Amino acid sequence: MKIVIAGDGEVGFFLAKLLEQEYRDITLIDTQENKLKYVESELGIATVLGDSTSYRVLKESGIAHADLLIAVTSNESVNITTCLIGKRLGAKYTIARISNMEYLIDKETLDLKNLGIDDLISPESLAAREIKYILKSPVLTEAFEIEGGLLNCMGVFIDKSSPLVNRTIKELTQFMPDKQFVVAAINRGGDIIIPRGDTQFKRNDHLFFISTQKQPDAIFDFTGNHNYSIKNVLVIGGSQTGKYVALRLSKYYNITLIEKDIRKCNLLAKSIPNVQVICGDGTDAKLLEREKIYNYDAIVSVTGNSETNIFVCMMAKEYGVKKTVAMVENVGLFDHSRKLGIDSLINKKYAASNFIFRSIHKGGQFSQLYGIDAEILEFVVQKGAKAARVPIRELRFPECAIIAGVVRNGQGFIASGTSQLEPNDKVFVFSMPKSSKVVRSFFC
Amino acid sequence: MNIIKHNSFDTFKMLFKQIGGLLVVLGGAMVVPLIVSAVYAEFYSVLGFLLSLTICVTIGLSLYKGIGTTLEPLNRHALIIAALGWLFLAIMGALPFLIIAHITPDHIANLFVPSGEGYSSSLVYFKNPLHAVFESMSAFTTTGLSMAVHEPSIGKGLLFYRSFAQWLGGAGIIVLAIAVLSQNSGRTALFLYGSESSGERLKPTVIETARSIWKIYLGITLFSLVYLVAGTLIFLPDYPISNVIFDSVNHAMAAQSTGGFSSLDNSIATYGSAKMEMLHILPMILGALSLPFFFRLFREKDIRLFWRDLQTRAVILFSIVGGVLLSFMLMESQIISEPFRVGLFQFVSALSTTGWQTADVHVWDSASIFFIVIAGMVVGGAAGATVGGIKMIRVLLFFKGILWKINGFFKSEHSIHVVEFNGKRLLPSEMYKDLGSAAIFSFVYLLFVFVSTLVTFYFMGDGYSISDALFESASAQGTVGLSCGITNPDMSPVLEVLYIVQMWCGRLEIIPVLVLFRTIIMGTRPVVV
Repeated sequence: MKIVIAGDGEVGFFLAKLLEQEYRDITLIDTQENKLKYVESELGIATVLGDSTSYRVLKESGIAHADLLIAVTSNESVNITTCLIGKRLGAKYTIARISNMEYLIDKETLDLKNLGIDDLISPESLAAREIKYILKSPVLTEAFEIEGGLLNCMGVFIDKSSPLVNRTIKELTQFMPDKQFVVAAINRGGDIIIPRGDTQFKRNDHLFFISTQKQPDAIFDFTGNHNYSIKNVLVIGGSQTGKYVALRLSKYYNITLIEKDIRKCNLLAKSIPNVQVICGDGTDAKLLEREKIYNYDAIVSVTGNSETNIFVCMMAKEYGVKKTVAMVENVGLFDHSRKLGIDSLINKKYAASNFIFRSIHKGGQFSQLYGIDAEILEFVVQKGAKAARVPIRELRFPECAIIAGVVRNGQGFIASGTSQLEPNDKVFVFSMPKSSKVVRSFFC
Repeated sequence: MNIIKHNSFDTFKMLFKQIGGLLVVLGGAMVVPLIVSAVYAEFYSVLGFLLSLTICVTIGLSLYKGIGTTLEPLNRHALIIAALGWLFLAIMGALPFLIIAHITPDHIANLFVPSGEGYSSSLVYFKNPLHAVFESMSAFTTTGLSMAVHEPSIGKGLLFYRSFAQWLGGAGIIVLAIAVLSQNSGRTALFLYGSESSGERLKPTVIETARSIWKIYLGITLFSLVYLVAGTLIFLPDYPISNVIFDSVNHAMAAQSTGGFSSLDNSIATYGSAKMEMLHILPMILGALSLPFFFRLFREKDIRLFWRDLQTRAVILFSIVGGVLLSFMLMESQIISEPFRVGLFQFVSALSTTGWQTADVHVWDSASIFFIVIAGMVVGGAAGATVGGIKMIRVLLFFKGILWKINGFFKSEHSIHVVEFNGKRLLPSEMYKDLGSAAIFSFVYLLFVFVSTLVTFYFMGDGYSISDALFESASAQGTVGLSCGITNPDMSPVLEVLYIVQMWCGRLEIIPVLVLFRTIIMGTRPVVV
């Protein structure tokens, strides 16, 4: 599969890096020469220097044989033009990054597919959607749907009061009702553990569940977490992401938004209903105190600066805010942010690339998880594959991977040691990257 | 282009060229009542209209064509053109009244009096030029105060002319001139359009906007016509069909323009039927709704807009609540025998500033008069309609302003204190601006009513009280046309001139007239006040 990525910064590089692990033939178009050199030498990705709306540049990138063209520059007009030209030049599937919500709302009217754009992606809007899921069940650190909700991935921290602490999975099996969910991975201080029967839980473990239920109640019963609901949300930063968050959430929560720039404040106040816009510096402790930050149930910090967001969330924790969500664009800060006590992280690049993985859909990486070295892989079991019609227990599946969920005939269920896979089953595997090749060999 | 660079003669030329255009349109419009007169074989009226038409068109054309290219009018010029234009309109529009009154011999005039009635023709009153101008101003500003004591006795031609003038004045002569002449540049047209009406642009260009306004206006008038004809035929089957049609045409135009002239002696009360009175409530309410609202309604074809549109909802609710309240007040006073029939009709008539009268307000108790003046006439219908008064949208804005102010004490000092009004979110600066201009207008409006009430008090005849004075002056200022009897051909000329000025100001929302006076007194130089 040949992929051409047109970018002008972070998102493009990040996508190229992620996709490179899965697909070999990737070309990155960018306007910044020094960055391209770095990419070429470090990652071994083919690059073309120039403007992606240029006919010559696109041809040079081998667009004629490309299966996928992803235009993710920060300028949506460039992205749209790139896709239009790219499609004409032979790209089979095109994805354009946009920032104007109108395109997403009025998809049918515009009939973009007919124009030559097969899919749209708005990292800001995706990030806002993730925040929405996170705030819906604030105890969860992660929450997203797999196969339209047939399976759900959820992340939970367990503290020292949890009944799970110092017990093994084998001891706890009786508390797992009807195989509604399974612990798919444990993040212990940055190390990923794929649980086995004798794996013992420790306090402050970060557990990843796959569940057939949309509601996390059964999981909370199991882990001893107490769910609570959120009413008041404080959003810091009136960036595009902040705007989408406010727009999406204003129906469900009382939202206050703090933004420094008075002109942005005015625009936001005019365009978003039911949101209190406050003009001020979100890192100003005095301002936060005056705005009674301790009255908020959740704080979502989405300024353009990762460090600011982390800092604001730490301050909010001091004031007793129960749920903190920080947008961290700097991948290197993920691990530390967690250690500093930030409940949930949001990353536009992850959101965008996960979306693209899901839309490529060709068996393989389904989703990248925040800050941990594990991924969810998706396979369709082929006829005559190693995994077909054998109890999973006897498969000799790699230690670093686990078959978490299966979708068969439009129904999701959790795989156990005794269950067998059928051809055409859709399988979701939690895996560390090092074993993904081996894992693949079981299904194809 | 700045006016200071040119001498004032250039400016005069420009103003009169525009006014000339208006007069051409006015003259052209007189063809219609001329035809009506001919149909009813009122040959003196035909002659009168022909003369007036010739004078209007001659003067108009010589100004409009005679003056070559001029400066392009700016915003303040547009306001002056509106003020002067409407004044000239009223004066020139008085010609048919004056001429017909003078040329029609008395024995012919008395033929207009319906058979069996004891009075003589009221046409004689228009021999007085002041009365003629009063009638004309009352017509074009859609007021409805009249010098014709017994309306039917002035002849069908003039009756039709009165209603037709109201109808033209309702949607706006300037808007009509923009639509018909389409001579002005887009910018000028926009200024002119804004000087006379709400200034809301419905189509990309002003000329298209003006045309669609007139189309909607005509469409609703035709609807009212059909509705009234059908209703009259159902409720009064014995009424002669020719009268049904003539009355309905006049009433449809008078209702849609919220003018309130009637072709009948005692307005709608002449029918002597409660059903007929209720029938006429709907056209009045339609007239009180804004034309841009109807534009949206036809474009979106969504009946729910009646409830969703803030102003429309408010007008409908106000009509019902106010009508019922007035009815209860009248019932309490025990003066009126049928309080609900009178209360509902009169309140809608006052709120929509139509001015059809079915009751003798003079005998009402002061509380009821005070209520109908403040809650009805002063408030008025929707902005963008043909109504007078402060207008519903401003009243709603003030109420919103109160909530906004109070609510502000509960907001933190750094928060952007936006306010949601009429489907839009306004920043504090925008809200203050809107509140400010609404407050200035409303203050001047109330000042006019206040001063006029006092003047009326000293110049009105015997037997009237201060509440009657308030009623009459608010009626003139709001271009309503309800009268408690102070307005009659024997009234003091001082009052008559005062009411002419009030109607003129009321139609143009006062500001253009003030700009005109400022220009006359202080010139156009900018000064610090």
